[in-house]
Amino acid sequence: MDRAFGRTKILTNHLLQLQLQSSASPNSSTASLSSNACLSFTPPELSETYAFDIKEMRKLVDRHHVEERDWLFGMMRQSEVFNPRERGGKVFVTPDYNQSMEQQREMTWKRIEYLRDRGVFKGWLTERSEESEMRCFACMEVMCTFDHSLAIKVGVHFFLWGGAILFFGTKQHHDKWLRDTENYLIKGCFAMTELGHGSNVRGIETVTTYDANTQEFVINTPCESAHKYWIGGAAKLNINGINQGVHAFIAQIRDANGNVCPNVRIADCGHKIGLNGVDNGRIWFDNVRVPRENLLNSVADVSADGKYLSSIKDPDQRFAAFLAPLTVGRVNIAVGAVYQSKVALAIAIRYALTRRAFSVKPYEPEVLLLDYPSHQRRLLPLVAKTYAMSFAANYLKMLYVKRSPQTNKTIHVVSSSFKATFTWNTMQILQECREACGGQGLKTENRVGQLKGEYDVTTTFEGDNNILMQQVSKALLAEYVAAQKKNKPFKGLGLEHMNKPCPVIPSQLTSTTLRCSQFQMDALCLRERDLLNRLVANISQHVAKGESKEHAFIMSFELAEDLGRAFSDRVIFQKFLEAEATLAEGSLKDVLGTLRSLYALTCVEDASFLRYGYLSVDNSAFVRREITKICSELRPHALALVSSFGIPDAFLSPIAFNWIDANSWSSVQHR
Amino acid sequence: MEKRNVESGTRGRARRRQSERIRSMASSQQEQVLVEATSFTRILTLNRTKQLNALSFEMVSRLLQLFLAYENDPNVKLVIVKGKGRAFCAGGDVAAVVRDIKRDGWRAGANFFSKEFTLNYLMATYSKPQVSILDGIVMGGGAGVSVHGRFRIATENSVFAMPETALGLFPDVGASYYLSRLPGFFGEYVGLTGSRLDGAEMLACGLATHFVPSAKLPMLEAALSVVDSSDPVMISSIIDQFCEQPSLKEQSVYNRLDVIDRCFSRRTVEDILSALEMEIVGRNDAWISATIQTLKKASPTSLKISLRSIREGRLQGVGQCLVREYRMVCHVMQGEVSKDFFEGCRAILLDKDKNPKWEPSKLELVTDSMVDVYFSKVDDEEWEDLKLPTRSKYNLSAYAIAKL
Repeated sequence: MDRAFGRTKILTNHLLQLQLQSSASPNSSTASLSSNACLSFTPPELSETYAFDIKEMRKLVDRHHVEERDWLFGMMRQSEVFNPRERGGKVFVTPDYNQSMEQQREMTWKRIEYLRDRGVFKGWLTERSEESEMRCFACMEVMCTFDHSLAIKVGVHFFLWGGAILFFGTKQHHDKWLRDTENYLIKGCFAMTELGHGSNVRGIETVTTYDANTQEFVINTPCESAHKYWIGGAAKLNINGINQGVHAFIAQIRDANGNVCPNVRIADCGHKIGLNGVDNGRIWFDNVRVPRENLLNSVADVSADGKYLSSIKDPDQRFAAFLAPLTVGRVNIAVGAVYQSKVALAIAIRYALTRRAFSVKPYEPEVLLLDYPSHQRRLLPLVAKTYAMSFAANYLKMLYVKRSPQTNKTIHVVSSSFKATFTWNTMQILQECREACGGQGLKTENRVGQLKGEYDVTTTFEGDNNILMQQVSKALLAEYVAAQKKNKPFKGLGLEHMNKPCPVIPSQLTSTTLRCSQFQMDALCLRERDLLNRLVANISQHVAKGESKEHAFIMSFELAEDLGRAFSDRVIFQKFLEAEATLAEGSLKDVLGTLRSLYALTCVEDASFLRYGYLSVDNSAFVRREITKICSELRPHALALVSSFGIPDAFLSPIAFNWIDANSWSSVQHR
Repeated sequence: MEKRNVESGTRGRARRRQSERIRSMASSQQEQVLVEATSFTRILTLNRTKQLNALSFEMVSRLLQLFLAYENDPNVKLVIVKGKGRAFCAGGDVAAVVRDIKRDGWRAGANFFSKEFTLNYLMATYSKPQVSILDGIVMGGGAGVSVHGRFRIATENSVFAMPETALGLFPDVGASYYLSRLPGFFGEYVGLTGSRLDGAEMLACGLATHFVPSAKLPMLEAALSVVDSSDPVMISSIIDQFCEQPSLKEQSVYNRLDVIDRCFSRRTVEDILSALEMEIVGRNDAWISATIQTLKKASPTSLKISLRSIREGRLQGVGQCLVREYRMVCHVMQGEVSKDFFEGCRAILLDKDKNPKWEPSKLELVTDSMVDVYFSKVDDEEWEDLKLPTRSKYNLSAYAIAKL
């Protein structure tokens, strides 16, 4: 009863305040009182100020093809096929996730056709240059900001199928397939995963034999575990590349009329927790015959009389060469994940700047969500993390487009580590943002909750995150062993810090130390270095007991996991520092420096720093307090920071704007 | 409170004439904008008929002053803006701006645009409804003082155009906000070609909210003069009583939205032109050919900065649009990349030879980095970005909030 009474008093007070306000201000009107009987929406743009140039910040974060991105964003916003809906006087474009799986797939395809007809994919396969590859990345980022299904369906066609032709094929294949692929005259998919084997590509069981009499390959699914699974676009498409062991073939699975070809069986993978706009399918091959020239033969070939020829003698290297198209997939996934974080955080922060809950004292107005230190603590470190990931993603893209045989290993390790880290981070960010939006986060029109389902797949496809992180640790281990064996200093993967004396963490930390980039770097390097040493020692112990190296590594999984994370955090941090260093002194650099400290300290707050004793319990508590302090310093910049993500309003959601009007009775009637 | 019957228009007009006479005795600055007050309505009439009501610095200043005052005046619930004579408003008085720049340097022009854009912003985010009666020519700056408001009434006499690319300028006055929000890529078409729209087309694309036959305007005005509320639903329903549904002419460009969508959605001006040229391969289409010719006659620099402005504007709030356009117009006046604005004014407004010599003369000569300059801050110590008036203390409507 007391509570109910108190509540009534607060509400009465709101009304009284409003009356006071309206009688004080000369522009009072009866209309404003009736439409604002209780709470009114104050747009954050009017209450918050920008202390730095958000356009400059966006340039730094998006880094390339900003105009191209805006063109594509604008194109989607203006078209009916992107499902525009008006809420609270603004237009929002998001797919209608209430549609059936079949309808969603149909819409994905309509959207692709729309973009194709307006020249979006022009040159994606036929003009190969660093510039055009970066342009593709930018477009993919924009498309995934709209809908994951759209990006995946485009990505499968261009990067997996198109990439397979490009990388595995030779001139004859390029001439025959690339232009038609770019124009979608043919639709392709890439069938590697099988029911029984996913991340372990070498284990796939599909068999291809060569028939020298007819000069044909015969592709066969020998058992149920060998049927192709999760093949994006397979349920609808007519051309299909298959990779058997270290070979990729082109097989037609549907004819020009869309009928399934003889000796091919196709089934749908069914309804999924997200990504239902992509037609994932399954394929069985019953001794399907394809002509000899359908072997994609850039790495290995079979002569007419059935002789096997390859320029790469080492089967491991040959295998690695075949996985190249998957690297671009990982780059796309890693980079795309960052944009989901941006969407979710922009929505959650904007909502927190307009939504109030609870008064601190009776009769006082309720407090803005983002003015609670707890709410700042939940969201602002995630903003810092997203900035860090953006800079790291830009590095990864550059690494990829400037690739050479010498950088293959780095690309593999960094893309694996970033793909895993970014997608894990993003899933955490989506969950936090969904909760921060309260009940409104449940509505699919508000995007954040739905994104969890749509992006969940990113943690396991194109390489399971845990497996990828093990590969990172394995690679670091190999570097260690190689350096020791050759008695040479570490070179590459940023491990040069291992050559220097071990950094020392001061026993008494101060605020100044904690915010110093040298300390931050030292802390992250110390952890990486120590974990690598521990992993080596742990494996040696196992090996000394007579176990195999492979078994020893499997048994050291905890250290391997921590090391993978330590490596990722350190590389990401380094890229943050490098981005910061490109700026001239000024407000932009100041804010970025504070964000960088927040990112670094959030990493240092990780349990591993206590677990392995890099930080004392006291210092750990100090780090924690400092994080809270930095959050409160960044609170005034919150709107500017998420506005700099450059996600247009139409790609956010109604709760990010006038959610009172968007949910008003009159809006219900007009819908 | 003055009670006025819709039928008793004659008496109303007589009183209005009287009030106009009284006001005409005031300073000359005020004569260019006639003010008429009824109980809760203010009727502002643009009164420079010889110049088709082109906005002079005085007019812009006066309008700004009036709008600011009305916002704080509880006795004003509704503002009506109209034009005297056959034009609503033919635009900003560009010839005067050019004259001022030639005499006093580009800052003189910056002063004009800063005032004009501030007025545009105020109108776009106004806390009270503005009804603009567009019974005649509405071009450039004229669109700027009407389209941002809540209600725009087109008639059979309306002629709308954003003709800036033919003048070496670009669609300003917040056009990058409202053009970019027209259906599909109609905004790019209207902004790049300067195509003229009639009242029916204005209503169809959303530049106008209502269509009222010219003959019914006195009755509409009378009805609006007696409202005592700012409630947009109520005002809209009053206008509805005089509305008609006009039909689009068979030859209307609005029936060519499919072509406009396919071509004007392209990435660059060059891509748009080649998409248009592709459309007429092997067939005749007078409208497409004319569109191509129009684009080829316009200033190449203007076309490129206009397209980019509309594209950026599509993703920005109205305030950001005006701040950006202000940067752009300052660069146009500085003329460091191109002096097309002065050449356009010479050829169209002064010498009237209609034969401007653009420089750079071709699209391909206008590089991305040249376009970039227009979107950058002006490199001048005394120069400042446009300072928008604060809106936080006003009880903005959801309609205004959505534009921020």
